[in-house]
This record gives sequence, structure tokens and C-alpha cells, in this order.
Amino acid sequence: MTDTSEQAGLVRELNRVWANLPGWGSLSAVNHSTVGLRFMVTGMVFFLIGGMLAMLVRTQLALPEQNLISVELYNQAFTMHGTVMMFLFAIPVLEGLAMYLIPKLIGARDLVFPRISSLGYYCYLFGGIIIMSSLFLGVAPDSGWFMYTPLSSNTFSPGPGSDFWLLGITFVEVSAMAAGIELTVSILRTRAPGMTLSQMPIFCWYILAMALMIVFGFPPLILASILLELERAAGMPFFDVTAGGDPLLWQHLFWLFGHPEVYIIFLPAAGIVSTLIPVFSGRPLVGYRWVVLSIILTGFISFGLWVHHMFTVGIPQLAQAFFSVASMMVAVPTAIQVFVWLATLWMGKVVFRLPMLWIMGFLVIFVCGGLTGVMLALVPFNWQVHDTHFVVAHMHYVLVGGMFFPLMAGLYYWLPLVSGRMPSQRIGQWGFWLTFIGFNITFLLMHLTGLLGMPRRIYTYEAGLGWDWLNLLSSVGGFIMAAGVALVLLDLLMHYHFGRKASRNPWHADTLEWVLEQPPAPYNFVSLPRIQSRHPVWDNPELGERLQAGEGSLASIEHGRRETWGTDAVTGEPSEICQLPTNSWLPLLAAGTLALLCISLLLGWYLLALVCVVLAALPLFRWSWENGGHPTAAPLTQEPPGECLLESRTTDGPGRWGMIITLLADGTLYLSLLFGWFYLWTASPQWSAPDAGPLSIWGLALSGILLTLASLRFRQQARRLARRVDTGVLAGLWQATGLGVLHILSLIFVLWTAPLAITESAHDAVLFFMVLFLLFHSVLAVIITALQAWRTRLGYVSAHLPYEPQVVWPFWLYTTGIFWVSLALFALLPMAWGPSP
Amino acid sequence: MVICLLLSACRGPFSTLDPAGPSARDVAGLWWAMFGFATLVLMVVTALWVYAIRRPASHPDQQSAQVMQNRWVIWGGLALPLGSIALLLAFGIPVGHRMLPLPPETGAVLQIEVTGHQWWWAVYYPEQNIGLTDEVHIPVGTPVDVVLRSTDVIHSFWVPRLGGKMDMIPGRINVLRLQADEPGVYRGSCTEFCGIGHAHMQFTITAHSANDFLTWQQQVQEGAE
Amino acid sequence: MKHTKKNAIARQPGISTGHPAQLVIGLTVWCVWFVVVYGSQAVACKLAAPDPIVGAFNPINLMLGLITLLIALGLAWGAKTCWRSTGSSASATALNTRQAWFIARIAAGLYAVSAIATFIVLWPLLVLPPCV
Repeated sequence: MTDTSEQAGLVRELNRVWANLPGWGSLSAVNHSTVGLRFMVTGMVFFLIGGMLAMLVRTQLALPEQNLISVELYNQAFTMHGTVMMFLFAIPVLEGLAMYLIPKLIGARDLVFPRISSLGYYCYLFGGIIIMSSLFLGVAPDSGWFMYTPLSSNTFSPGPGSDFWLLGITFVEVSAMAAGIELTVSILRTRAPGMTLSQMPIFCWYILAMALMIVFGFPPLILASILLELERAAGMPFFDVTAGGDPLLWQHLFWLFGHPEVYIIFLPAAGIVSTLIPVFSGRPLVGYRWVVLSIILTGFISFGLWVHHMFTVGIPQLAQAFFSVASMMVAVPTAIQVFVWLATLWMGKVVFRLPMLWIMGFLVIFVCGGLTGVMLALVPFNWQVHDTHFVVAHMHYVLVGGMFFPLMAGLYYWLPLVSGRMPSQRIGQWGFWLTFIGFNITFLLMHLTGLLGMPRRIYTYEAGLGWDWLNLLSSVGGFIMAAGVALVLLDLLMHYHFGRKASRNPWHADTLEWVLEQPPAPYNFVSLPRIQSRHPVWDNPELGERLQAGEGSLASIEHGRRETWGTDAVTGEPSEICQLPTNSWLPLLAAGTLALLCISLLLGWYLLALVCVVLAALPLFRWSWENGGHPTAAPLTQEPPGECLLESRTTDGPGRWGMIITLLADGTLYLSLLFGWFYLWTASPQWSAPDAGPLSIWGLALSGILLTLASLRFRQQARRLARRVDTGVLAGLWQATGLGVLHILSLIFVLWTAPLAITESAHDAVLFFMVLFLLFHSVLAVIITALQAWRTRLGYVSAHLPYEPQVVWPFWLYTTGIFWVSLALFALLPMAWGPSP
Repeated sequence: MVICLLLSACRGPFSTLDPAGPSARDVAGLWWAMFGFATLVLMVVTALWVYAIRRPASHPDQQSAQVMQNRWVIWGGLALPLGSIALLLAFGIPVGHRMLPLPPETGAVLQIEVTGHQWWWAVYYPEQNIGLTDEVHIPVGTPVDVVLRSTDVIHSFWVPRLGGKMDMIPGRINVLRLQADEPGVYRGSCTEFCGIGHAHMQFTITAHSANDFLTWQQQVQEGAE
Repeated sequence: MKHTKKNAIARQPGISTGHPAQLVIGLTVWCVWFVVVYGSQAVACKLAAPDPIVGAFNPINLMLGLITLLIALGLAWGAKTCWRSTGSSASATALNTRQAWFIARIAAGLYAVSAIATFIVLWPLLVLPPCV
């Protein structure tokens, strides 16, 4: 009796600590289930908008020589269709799905940086709204979703369309980066005790790869967008050939992002397939290790394919052959997975339910898209069909087949978890068949349209070229598909009212999310499990009741903190307890001010933009303030000495991993900048560099020495604290801050006195940007260090709370590293190399 | 009957499947071979999946499951794609090599300069000093090197029945090798999206027999004088 | 006890085959090789482009071919080492945990595929001239 009342009290307290605030207060929610669902619902809304744009395009193309819509509107429609589907639907929905599921799959209570989840969502929402507003204002971007320069530059697109794209998409990408970093650290460092790498549900491997690919794949596009926006707004000619820039640099940077992006979308979808097939086959996934191997292989090889989007730009054919081979090699991991799935179905007893129907659809469409992909990787064939409707067809086969169909399978599969009800088998089947048939009519024929020579992105075509009946049928197919999608959405909405109640674990699945209540409580698990196999629920069907009864770990809530385990990346053994932040308005504030910044840049109100930068920095620094030993987080009390310390009492927690992963992303951005520098230097047709570098080498060297001294001083303090000594730390941190300020001042002086013609020469523009990049990091390091010093004074950093300087130290190391590398590569190497070749 | 229907469906002034030059013919051949092979693969894989779903459960023991798994993965996941890639490269790379603008073993190459503008084509014959707009004339059976430039944004030059396409990029010069086997008028279009006039940025290539080409050349030069 | 540990380290210089880093080393080498080959080809063509008449037998293709062959062999050696460490005789001493065995097995496959992906590039190097 006391047991049950004790347990009820525990659940009540957990609910109190973990609940979102009521009413409008729920906008401050940081919980992964809430934020994940918001991501998915918002993504679905954008999907409908993108779908309507597609209908507009198909209507215009249904008959030859039509003038239903103007060419201007048509160009906006196809640009926005691509942009919305890629950036506002595909990636965010999958991120949302991953955010919703990952903690449940790995047996954690939340993601490791909940406020980042919320910030990501608001950046996505506001960025999406800003981009969408351009459509309603009639000034939407109209140079295609990959925004090739010079068409997207000031001269040829003088309106604000391109700015909407560049600023809006960069804003949305903040959310992708946030999700990428957060998911990586969560999967590596917060798995349930005992869940080794080889016991992770296979979906986690897919998401881990996706998250890391975001970390390495998005920075090139973020850099390219910033550079192009600077060219448009400030006249810095990075892509202008007459000033020594090169439009091909944009293409390289764009596709350096663009190709991994396709696999960023495909991997989670394949993860859904690998999760569902074993469940419906009633046996473990065959060849788990083969699948892990394929995932890693896909992740890497997809970074070596980007030039296959550029086979017709005039690169030597030998160089094209490298990319051609790599593009074909990526078929290997995909084929391994297809046959692993086949083998699993072969050996199991298959129960054919609605999600399996979508998986069959996925198989047919995706294999077809993969095969045309291998064809396109062959250079001579590519030269014929590149930029025709053949490519449009291929791309939709890969993306719709490889993302939309598995996503639908996943939605139907996890629906009972979210709503507690089952979808309708009959309407679901109708929806599937209409979508599947409509899709194939539209896009199978489109291959032929392309082979018959129809270029993509033309708003009309003359009659009698052999394209008429194909286009008409494609349009009819498009509308059938739209009807199918509408039916599916209707089914999803209606099932909330009419669906029959789902039993616990209705599909007899093996993974942890199915031991939860339906819908899951915000804290997921009353107590956290210890994992001993890959299939915890199959091995132990009563696991749910036992965890609910508090028989697992971390089953106490008297402290009033949100807590989950921090565990070892390989073995999954507990190493600390993560205290997670509670509901917070700071993410909304930060994203709101960033949106204001975005709008003021769009309007060209640069003074307001400057104010917004400061305004946006305030909530962000406040955010960093409410951590560790701060009274709102986990103040220092007389804790009973347990086996595991709170994260802020250790020296290597998930937060430090978050910093390192962030620096990997930042480093990729820096490498992209280096790539741009070398690319322009060697390949830009009219590159010119002055004989003597415009930046003072001695000034830079002096500045670098000051920076090095500052970071050494900081390191000394971090080491002292790691040894649990705090004497002299406060003074040391202030000294590091002071040295850092001197370094910044000297760097500004060097920049100020340098004769840089940033609007006339791409060389000077890149140098200028590089110094700004260094300055940004230095300023950030100094502010953070000053805050650390202040926190030390207040006792939030001490011998008992040595954690934060350990998190900050990698940032100092990185800042110092890129400074010296820049000095060597941007200033010294060109001197040795001599003036432009 | 079906073949006739298919062949007639493949005709058209922009059809890559109705080739009239060596490059386009090579690629059309590649396409049909790849199409046949890909269709076969798709059908076999789908059939295997459908069978795998329908067949009764086998419940193999650990050992034989391992053997079966490795057999599927090694043959289907490794041998099939790697074999296909090897085959594809063995045929594809020589085809690509033949499309390069290398000096021919016999005879000369005619040079034509084409410059893309928003939204028209400036055509110039440097040796003959002839300038044209939106139309190109070439002799039959002679390799032609089209020298491609752009003055504003990126365009792409494509004559589907003769051969592949090549981009025209500001600041750069690309060379595309083309050849027509039969006299006739071949149509071309811009394939890189270049703004509101993109859909109408087209041109024609007229291939003349050697004699007719000389006559045409003379006529144009006389007309210019 | 101490003695055997020392022996194990002596037999396997560098990181153990069961270290998670093995999952990314092979493909990272592949990536770097890819960038080096692509970049040096571009730079070499800029500095000293051979006459396209010469075809594929020229210093640039030769140099790229040599690098490619060396890298492919190195990756193949990595595959062999990882695979051997998971064999029945070695597993008792070198890889005593299931985690390490799991990682070494996957790493062997990854090294092997990177070796193949590198090796295939020799074929275009034998056929195509470098700079057109």
C-alpha cells in the first residue's frame, strides 16, 4: 500500500517538475516531446504550401503554350517549391522526429540541451515565416533553389528576393545546426546505463550519422550565404568575375552542402525502414554490423560527390571521373541495406500492416531513383540529361521515395505512441495507393520528357515537340498524388476522434519507446532502465511496469531538478548526472531578436540591425549565466556523496562535448573559407593579388602573441580547477580577459590601418572577411572569460564547480589555432607563392 | 508494333533518343543498355522482396542465419553494385574520352564561337569572319569545336540530337565538340536557368553537305559586303 | 599481469583495432586522398599541362596513380590488421571486450571498402588525359 502511494507521489512530483507552463506559458517549453511535435506539425504546414506551389507549376505545364501564370510568378513558384520542400519541410520534419524519438529510444528523459531545442524551433519558425512572407509580398526569390550566381547577384536580381532566401535560409539553418549538435551529444553521452554502442537501436546510428553530417555539411552553405549576402549588401565581390571572384565558387560551396544534404534526408528515413522491418518481421534486424558499416560509409562518401552536380561546367574529365566513381560507390552502402532488409524479411514471419505498405512503396521508388542516380553519375550520359526533366524525375524519385514514403511509414507506426489511437486501415490504404500511383504517373513519365529534350525550369513549351502528352499525364498524376496526400492527412486528423484505442506496444516492437505511456509523460521514464541487449522489450516484456514502479535508476525527485544520466560514449556506463534546465523564455527572446535582426537587414536598416545584435546577445549570455551552480540550476548544497556527481561538479560532461562538436562545425566553416581562398587563388579566371600583403605581418604576429598568452593564462586556471584548486583563479581569469582585450585592440588596429579595397578586389574582400571571422571569435572568447571571472567571484565557479572553464578551454584553443593558421595561410603563404599566377 | 510505337515516341526535334551525331549516338546506346539493365535489377529486387514477404517463416538457427545473411549481403550488397560499376565504367569512360575536344587523327576542326546573352546567342566564325544570331551552320561529317562564353549570367549550350551540353560561364571559356552525320536542321536550347527569358532562349544548327556549306559561306560573306 | 599488458602494447603500435576512432580513420584517409588528388590535379594542370595528344601516359597521371596505389594498399593493410585482430586466436588477448570486437569488425569492412573506392580510380587514370 505504501509502495503504491509512494509511487503515485513520485509520478506527481515528476509531472510537476517536468510539465510545460500552462496556456501561453507553453511557449517557454523546452521539453523534447513538445518541441519535436512542434517541428513536425510546422513542417507539415510548410509541406502543404510547397505542395500547392508544385500544383501551380504542374497546372501551368499541363498544356503547351499556356499563360495561366506569368513567367515571373512561375519562376518564384519553382524556386520556392524547392526551397520550402528542402529547407522547411524535409530537414525540419526529420529533425523533429529524431528529437521526439531519440531520448525515448536511448532511455533518457530529455535531450541534453533542451533550451537549444527550443531555440532551434523558434529560429525555424520565424525563418520560415520570413521566407514565406516574400511569397505573399510578391517578391519571392526567383533564381532557382540553388541560387546560382551571377543570376542571384545584385545586377541580375536587384529585388529583395535573393536577400529573403539568403537571410531566411541562414536563419533556418541555425536550427539545423542546433539539432545536429544536440542529437550528436545526446546519442553519444546520455544513453541509458549499460547501452553500449553495439546495443543502440539501429535508428540511433542513423540519427548519429545524420547529426554529424549536419555538423559538417551545413557550414559550407552558411558561409556561402553570408558571402553572397555581403556581396549583395556591401558590394564585396566574392563571386564577381571582373573583380577576381568566381561564380563557380558558389556552386562548389553550395553543392559541398547540397549533396550531403540529400543523405542527411535519406539516412533518417532509411533508419525508419531499418526500425520497422524487424518489428513487422518479428525477428531482429539481420546484419546489424553491415548496416552500421553502410551508415558510416554513406556519411563519408556523400561528401565526395558534390561535383557531380557540376559535370557540365568545364572541369577536366579526369577530375570528373573521380567524382563519377565516388558517386557510383555510394550505391554500395545503399545496396547493402536493401539486401539486409530483404534478408530480414526472408527469414522472418512478416505481418503486413499499413506501415509496411509504405515501405514497399519506398523500396520500388527508391531503388528506381538509385538506379537512375548511378546512370547520372556517368559523365557522358550526364552531359545529355543534366538540367532536363530527367534530373527532375530522378531527384523526386530519390527524395520522395527515399524520404516521404518512409516518413509516412514512420508516422503511421509511431502514431499510436503519440495519440494512443490506431489509424484507419482502409482510408490509409486508399491514401497510399493514390499517392503511389499518382507519383509514378507524374515522375516515371518525366524521365522520358527529359530524354526527349525538355529542359527544367521552363515555364512554357511549344506544341508538337513530343512533350505534350507526357506533360499532361504528369500533371494529372500530380493531382492524383495530391488527392492521396490529402486523404492521408485526413486519416491522420480523423483518427484522433475515430481511431480505436491502441493497446500498449501495438506492433510488438523491441525498442524502449513502447514501454512508455501513450502519449508519453514529459519525463518519459519514471525511472531509467539498465540495458543488457539490443531488444530490451522483447527480452523483458514487463519492463514498462517495472520502470513505472520506480525499479530503475534516478527514481527520486526531492531535489526538484530535471535529471538524466550522463554515460560513457562507448560502454554506456554512468559517469555523471546531467541537470537539465526547466522551461525558459530565453530561447524565444533570442530567436525573436534574431528575427528582428533578419528583418532589419532585409530592409537595409543597418543601425537597427546593430541594435538587434546587442539585443540578441543579451538573452544568449543570460542563458549561459543560468547554468551550473547558479541558483536556478543546481546550486551548491551539502549533497550526500553518491556514486555519480552532477555534471557541473565534474570536468568532462556532455556540455564539453557539445562545445567540441560546435567547434567541429565552426572549424568546417573555417575550412570552407580556406577552400574558397585557395580556390579563388588557383582557379578564378581574373584573380589578382597585390605583390605585398595589405595586412601588417608584424602587427598580426604581435596580436597573435597576445592571444596566445591570454589563452595560456586561461588554460592554467582551467587546469587548477580540474585539480580542485581555486586559489588565484579569479585573478588569472581577469588577466586572461585583459590580455584578450589587448589582442582584440591590436587586431582592430591592424585591420583599420590596412589599405583594403574590399569592394574592388575579391582578394581584399576575403582577407577582410577572414579578419572579421577571427575578431568575432576573439571577442566571444573574451566576453565568456569575463563572465567566467565574474561567476568565480560569485562562487558559481570554484574548486567544487570546476566544470565551466573546462567547457570554455577548447574554444580558446580553437580561437588561437585558427589565428595562427590564418596568419600562415592567408598572409605568409601567398608571400612565398608570389603574386597571382 | 510496340517497338514501332516506342520508336515513334522517341522522335522529336529535341530528342536525345533520335541521335544524329557520334556523341549523341554513343550516349543513346549507353542509355538503352543502362535502361535494360536497370529495369531488370528493379524487377528482380522487387520480386525478391514480394516473395520474401509472402514466403512462410523459416526460423533458421543462428549459424545458418549468419550464412544466409552474408550470402545476401555479399552477392546483393557488394558484388551486384561493384560489378555494375565496373561494367559501367568500362564502357562509359571510353565514351567520355571520345567526346573530348582532342585534335582529330585526320582532317581539321571547324571553330565556332558562341556567346550567351540574356536571352540570345551570338555566333561568330573567327576564320571566316561571319557573325550570326541564334543560328549556327556547320558542315556534315566534320568535327566542330564550339567555343562557349557568356557575358552576363550562366547559360548552357545544348543540341540534344548532336551531343551533350556545356555551360557558358562568365569569365571562362569552355569547348564543346559536336558533329552532325546527316544534313538537316537541329534545334538547341539553353538548359541552365538564366532568368525570365530562359524558356525562349533557343537556336538552330543547320548541317550542310560539304559543298552546300561552302556555298552558304560564300553567300553570307557576299551578303555582308 | 603487467608483463602481458606490455606485450600487447608492443605487438600493436598506435591505437588498438577496437578503438572507436578506427571507424572513421579509413574513410578520413579516403577523404583526404580525394581532396589531395583533386586539388593537385587542378594545380598541376595550371602549372604544367601536358599536351592532350600524349594521352594518359604523362607525369601527372603517373604521380596521381602512384599516390592512389599507395593509399589503396595502406587502406587494404588497415583492413587486414583489423580483420586479423577479430580472428578466433587473437580475440582472447587483443580484443577482450565485445565492444572492441564489434568495432574492429566494422572497421575492417570500412577499411576494405575505402581501399576499393580508392583503387577503382586507377582505371580512369589509365585512360583519360589529365587536363581536358
